[in-house]
Amino acid sequence: MSVLGVNGAGKSTLIKCLNGILKPDSGKVSILTFEESDNGLVNVSELDLVGLSRVMSYVPQFIRTSFSMDVFDVVLLGRRPHLKWRISENDRNKVSETLRYLNLEEFAFRKFDQISGGERQRVVIAKAIAQDPNLFLFDEPTSNLDLKNQIQIMKCIRKIIKDSKSPKSALIAIHDINTAARYSDKIILLDNGSIKAFGSPDEVLTEQNIADVFGVKSSVVLTDENYIRVLIDDEI
Amino acid sequence: MELIPTMDSISVKHIEKGKHQVFIVLVLGILTFLSSLIALGLGSSENLDMTKVWKIVLFDIYDFFMNLDIVLENLWHNLSGCFSLSCNNRSIMYGIDREGTALQNSMIYDWRLPRILTAIVGGIALAVAGSLMQGCLGNPLVSPLTLGVASGAALGAALAIVLGFTILSIPSLAIVANSFIFSLLVVFIIIQLGKMRSISAESYILVGIAITFICGAIVSTMQYFASDAQLSALAHWSFGSLARPNKKNLIFMSLVLIAILPTAVRWSWDLNALSLAGDEFAISTGVDPVKLRKNILIVSALMTSIIIAFTGLIGFVGLAAPHMSRLIVGNDFRKLIPCSAIFGSFLMIFADTLGRTLFAPVIIPVGVMLSIIGGPFFMYLLLKRRVQH
Repeated sequence: MSVLGVNGAGKSTLIKCLNGILKPDSGKVSILTFEESDNGLVNVSELDLVGLSRVMSYVPQFIRTSFSMDVFDVVLLGRRPHLKWRISENDRNKVSETLRYLNLEEFAFRKFDQISGGERQRVVIAKAIAQDPNLFLFDEPTSNLDLKNQIQIMKCIRKIIKDSKSPKSALIAIHDINTAARYSDKIILLDNGSIKAFGSPDEVLTEQNIADVFGVKSSVVLTDENYIRVLIDDEI
Repeated sequence: MELIPTMDSISVKHIEKGKHQVFIVLVLGILTFLSSLIALGLGSSENLDMTKVWKIVLFDIYDFFMNLDIVLENLWHNLSGCFSLSCNNRSIMYGIDREGTALQNSMIYDWRLPRILTAIVGGIALAVAGSLMQGCLGNPLVSPLTLGVASGAALGAALAIVLGFTILSIPSLAIVANSFIFSLLVVFIIIQLGKMRSISAESYILVGIAITFICGAIVSTMQYFASDAQLSALAHWSFGSLARPNKKNLIFMSLVLIAILPTAVRWSWDLNALSLAGDEFAISTGVDPVKLRKNILIVSALMTSIIIAFTGLIGFVGLAAPHMSRLIVGNDFRKLIPCSAIFGSFLMIFADTLGRTLFAPVIIPVGVMLSIIGGPFFMYLLLKRRVQH
């Protein structure tokens, strides 16, 4: 699921309210988790940070690196909500599996600050996967990447959701309308902090909606491969 | 027949790497222990050289175990903090000749041994505090003295020495108590500021700098109006020395350290998350950065203040020991904290012994010695890093 909107519409804010970085002034956040223990519905605001990090994982937009660790250890941090102190064999295996899954094996023992931006992004995604959450939150995962990396990351996210054994979702705050249209099942269109439209790409991305929210004239076409492509003409 | 699935090669390599690092840390620990033994034997006295010292000590250990019951009984009655029964008592006690003269025994047990133990305890405390601070503020240039703990302590000492304003009226502990209380007061102010406006790691550092300026200004003013004797006393306090704490102080410092260390160690995983990539990343791993930062600051300040209140200002160890450890174990706090502790005690023993022996019989205090070693060492580290990048 992608969250689209202009700068300041509230995409990042929404994500940060979900994962506990920001506290909402009013309202409640609940997540459907399909776990038997809690009737499937988890009230997120009642969880502490560790509980939250078991249910959802978050890939931030900017990753500052002050101190460096091996890539393996960074991904291992994703297991922290699940471990007490000692690292079990299960934890290590999960990390190794995830590294292989994302083609990061050759970087396993390189330092986190000595790999490229795209690779670092994949490492943080690996950590998010190792956390084994129900919900993945991505804040602008493609904004700082080159074109090929953008496509690879989006494909990677889709693959994670499709391949996972238990039901999982990903919520992605994103700038680029076409990337969102191409790779999302559903789109949330935010305008000024409220939801203007929600649905599949063809339902949400109408020329009228785009004009209202983004202030640009566009043409929406359906490609041969059956996905929406938005061609931007000019500002209104 | 199905083979039992072996662990994946990456996991195996991770375990190997971990074992390798632990091994190196253990070796370093042993080396540090050996260096403390060597330090016990080194000194400026002419009639007390290494072999003599070890003869005395080994004989005493032998006697100790031979007469364990008498020793224990006497220790119970004699809790004045001596590490061995006083020479005369023992000779009378079981009529054997003590190895070495009373003076030599006193030099070893009342002077050198406490000094070395203080170096170890102080080194551990300052190094661990330093690694905690660097981790929680995400900045490798931070030391336990950064947040104004040192300037608070200096302020307390100055108030006691120059103005006679003391919180505790016991003369021998007046300066100590003042330093301790004022350095904790500084930390308290910083934490309160942190609560008022939820501040980031960078802001903590800036606040620390501001407070250092303020305390420094007050101390300078007092220094300006102080008498020569007071100035001299204050200057001497600011050169941290391991001779100042007596045995009781040493026991007190050790107990505080033993009480606090487990808490610091328990935060290792959280520190890994916090120090790696900022607050948001930490939250995504389930770590509350604001709360953790506050707790770490308090613990680190406690560890530091308790040491420098007794010894005076000792810098460099808190900054250098974590850096040196990082070269060996990387940034995993589960290994970084013990390794820093070892490097910290080694640095203190080394600096103190060097200060005692270099210009014997003049003793250069450990604080000064560390400053002398510190500058060039840091230059070297900086240049080394440039080359790597």
